[in-house]
Amino acid sequence: MADTDQVMEPSIDNPFISSPALHPRPTLQNVVSTVNFGCTLDLKAIVRHARNTEYNPKRFAAAMMRIREPKTTALIFSSGKIVCTGAKTEKQSLTAARKYARIIQKLGFDITFNDFKIQNIVASCDVGCPLSLVRMSTFHGEFLVYEPELFPGLIYRMKKPKVAILVFPSGKIVIAGAQKTDEIFEAFKNIYPVLMSFRKTK
Amino acid sequence: MADAFCSDCKRHTEVVFDHSAGDTVCSECGLVLESHSIDETSEWRTFANESGDNDPVRVGGPTNPLLADGGLSTVIAKPNGASGEFLSSSLGRWQNRGSNPDRGLILAFKTIATMSDRLGLVATIKDRANEIYKKVEDQKSSRGRNQDALLAACLYIACRQEDKPRTVKEICSVANGATKKEIGRAKEYIVKQLGLETGQSVEMGTIHAGDFMRRFCSNLGMNNQAVKAAQEAVQKSEEFDIRRSPISIAAAVIYIITQLSDDKKPLRDISVATGVAEGTIRNSYKDLYPHVSKIIPNWYAKEEDLKNLISP
Repeated sequence: MADTDQVMEPSIDNPFISSPALHPRPTLQNVVSTVNFGCTLDLKAIVRHARNTEYNPKRFAAAMMRIREPKTTALIFSSGKIVCTGAKTEKQSLTAARKYARIIQKLGFDITFNDFKIQNIVASCDVGCPLSLVRMSTFHGEFLVYEPELFPGLIYRMKKPKVAILVFPSGKIVIAGAQKTDEIFEAFKNIYPVLMSFRKTK
Repeated sequence: MADAFCSDCKRHTEVVFDHSAGDTVCSECGLVLESHSIDETSEWRTFANESGDNDPVRVGGPTNPLLADGGLSTVIAKPNGASGEFLSSSLGRWQNRGSNPDRGLILAFKTIATMSDRLGLVATIKDRANEIYKKVEDQKSSRGRNQDALLAACLYIACRQEDKPRTVKEICSVANGATKKEIGRAKEYIVKQLGLETGQSVEMGTIHAGDFMRRFCSNLGMNNQAVKAAQEAVQKSEEFDIRRSPISIAAAVIYIITQLSDDKKPLRDISVATGVAEGTIRNSYKDLYPHVSKIIPNWYAKEEDLKNLISP
């Protein structure tokens, strides 16, 4: 069984797979966070005085404000709570939330920056080779949902960390539902050997 | 022939059941152990074309364990020769007032039966769909949902569990008003409910193109050789990196096989039989074309025939 001439194929037993230098790194795409400003806001006044804000109460009950740096969008509700989306890292999301707070403060509302919480982090990654989802789904577990008629990707719900991983036959994956960046990387570390064992050769 | 304890022989002996007299007789000493046994098979045979007033069946339909009272149904009948308004008078009102706790269930079962008849499904699948629906209904959370989509999804899951999957589009065609998206969402919901209730025991394999081959081919009227070749081709095609829904791959394979044979089916016919759009079949054909020599079996078509295939 001497495989000395063959290239070391990545497998679950291969020690190299655990070296993080060798496998690809997921890139964060979106961070969603919420903050409570602690006082009721007058959305009509905000939309009148602030730039880059839209408010269509018939369509949706919140005002949408956008800032350029970091490039984010905030949904501002009249209760004083806001949802900040579009940031690329946790830190950027915090900065953006603070900027929104500053803008609202300058408009004359009494803001307190309460309960900042990252709700969702989404990252994408490419394992580099096509994957056989059919084989993966027979290996099953109650974690997998693969319905090629309904959605071309396989949905893997990992219990720990609690994230959802969408696996596509091209080899690209999306990791969503994490609350911390570390969870994303931990999830990827867990899923990478599994994905590589279901590569499509040819 | 069974074993029972005979009181005369004082031991277990072989016992014969005499159907004509309804007796259970010990074969060693001839003692009758039980007499007047009740025959529970059906008394009369029913044929589809027979109808009308002369229905001699006295016992009603088979008991349905899913319904609350086993499906007992005693109704006040319209007397012979009376007009329709008799039933809407006092007797008829008494009949209908008693609120039947199972009315929703019975209606749902009837809808499932209609849908499965339209698809030509066996009674096993229909019964399983009824069971699934009952299990979901027991958890009251399904009230607000689209009933049609829920019933269609029950049928879809039943077909899958019996290893005779039907495409969502096929189920769509018999479900009145439910769209593919709604059925898909209802299906996810049911799977989750069943998982919650019975602790993750929902067994549903993934669909493969091969499961649908027989049916699509027979809908198109392809000959046996072509059907066999198509099934082999679809098996081989799973190894290649073709990122398409299995149904689309099946349709494209059928298209290739029919193009290679003598009776070429037009794209439109294949599209109608499989439910795949013509443009999708063309695109899947484009994806399959590079591998066509490896997919189509050698005994069916030779190299030159493959060269004659239209290049996409």
